[in-house]
Amino acid sequence: MSTGSIVFMVLSWAIVLSLVTWSYSRVLKKKAHHDPDSIGPASPPQRGAAEGKVPPPVDH
Amino acid sequence: LSNNAHEKWGSRIGLILAMAGNAVGLGNFLRFPRQAAANGGGSFMITYFIALLLLGIPLMWIEWGVGRHGGHYRKGHIPGMLAALWRHPAAKYLGVVGMVIPLTVMIYYTYIESWTLAFSFFSLFKDYWGHTTQEGMIGYLTSFQGFGNAREHAAWTPYAFFTVTLAINIWVLSRGVSGGIEKLAKIGMPTLFIFAVVLAVVVLLQPERLGSPAEGLQFIYNPDFSRVDEASVWLASAGQIFFTLSVGMGSLQAYASYLSRKDDIALNGIATAATNETAEVVLGGSIAIPAAVTFFGVAGAMAIAQSGSFNLGFATMPVVFQQLPLGNILGFMWFSLLFFAGITSSVAMLTPITAFFREEFGFRRETVSWALGAICFVFGLMHIVWLQYGFLDEWDYWAGTFGLVVLATIEVILFVWVYKPENMWRELHEGADIKIPQIFKFIMTYVTPAYLLFILVWWGVSDAIPILQMDKSAGGGELTEEMKPFILISRGVIVLFTIAFIILIRMAWKRNGYDDRKGFVMVDRSGEGGVA
Repeated sequence: MSTGSIVFMVLSWAIVLSLVTWSYSRVLKKKAHHDPDSIGPASPPQRGAAEGKVPPPVDH
Repeated sequence: LSNNAHEKWGSRIGLILAMAGNAVGLGNFLRFPRQAAANGGGSFMITYFIALLLLGIPLMWIEWGVGRHGGHYRKGHIPGMLAALWRHPAAKYLGVVGMVIPLTVMIYYTYIESWTLAFSFFSLFKDYWGHTTQEGMIGYLTSFQGFGNAREHAAWTPYAFFTVTLAINIWVLSRGVSGGIEKLAKIGMPTLFIFAVVLAVVVLLQPERLGSPAEGLQFIYNPDFSRVDEASVWLASAGQIFFTLSVGMGSLQAYASYLSRKDDIALNGIATAATNETAEVVLGGSIAIPAAVTFFGVAGAMAIAQSGSFNLGFATMPVVFQQLPLGNILGFMWFSLLFFAGITSSVAMLTPITAFFREEFGFRRETVSWALGAICFVFGLMHIVWLQYGFLDEWDYWAGTFGLVVLATIEVILFVWVYKPENMWRELHEGADIKIPQIFKFIMTYVTPAYLLFILVWWGVSDAIPILQMDKSAGGGELTEEMKPFILISRGVIVLFTIAFIILIRMAWKRNGYDDRKGFVMVDRSGEGGVA
């Protein structure tokens, strides 16, 4: 196996394994939710906040 | 939880494993090494990681976002999800693509999955022992499939394995999200990874024969950068990223629809993609091609790789196992891991369709599951009987290849451009455990749609039009006059499914009194949905 191939394989594996290690370490940490609305996870965002407006009332 | 109540995932790890199980499929272990080897090794890997960054990961987030947004309105199916994004009468009909694709793919994919179940038993009981050449094993495989000259199996064998495989799928589906799919993923995914690690270690520790495992890895990772400027290499890597992550299928979105606003999708999405990539790059690249090079030499492996993924998995690997100690056990592990990779994907495919009938027509989950199972069985028989006439290849191209790009393009345009990038970005970050780098907003808004449109146009011109005009075969092989009537029937069934779903969508909207311009009722998700 050439040096170039070894470097390439190690690099490819490193990218993937780093990503999986980082993501699972974050998943298992159970860190507090990122809170872009400053509302906090204990207070769910207002209905329709994702759309930027409150949806119309129930009509069907 | 009543039968028609909205479901929820049992745990976060269960959700990620189910999503990863959906993504990890046969392509991780059969298609990836073949594509890497055939497209210049290093050149392919460079373009592969660029496609992962610009196409795969953004699409993964977009599909989680589309799905969870649909779930706010209790829509676990694509027509409903698209209608929730775009308040226009046409939106729901665009979603018909997201109903036809999973149904058609489920039918032929389950049939292929049944081969892996059959071969795991054939391996365990050494049924193919004695077929020590590639040609001999291809004869054994075609005999099992019901054509070819050899008569190794009773005529009912493929039908029996297909029936059992389909029944297992439907049984899991009928048990629901947490009671069936999540439990399957919690058993299937660790088993798959353990079997794959054992096989990779066994293969990589093999002594030199006609070649060596190191030469096999060299075959994949050869830094041949001379092909980076070839469009075909970029398309091959983009296609592989597309298929491996199961995007454009409608199933990731259906799984995500069972999440609430408080649940993270940003970190879960990246964890799912990372799990899939580990299975593909680290494990998928370390088994089949290194084994083929070790036992057949570089030239032999090159010829095998060019002859197709199924020959690599179902002919080459059994020949290898016959030459190894405890080969029957290793063969059983190889085909079992393919079976688990397959079934964790196939159970996901009917989820959006099950959701459609439950949410819009109020059917019981068990009723819908077994009724869909009956439909899959009937149309699956066509694949078994007409396999040699290109029936399966036709579905695989229109639904399992081109259709995926069509659906992904539609949903990206609606979620990012119509729904607006700001809303898309906010949706992805609701309940998020990580902040997605701002650069991805730009990528999702401009780069990913452009990438998809490029693929769509290129494939449309180079493949779709010639295949539609029957100037070339969908499977890449020879197109004979004998095949053409069966290809027309194959396309006719897809058209039939499309018409049926258009009618059903229309009936559902009328029955429930939906107003396309007003949108759906937003369901209060507190206390239901999400991860328990």
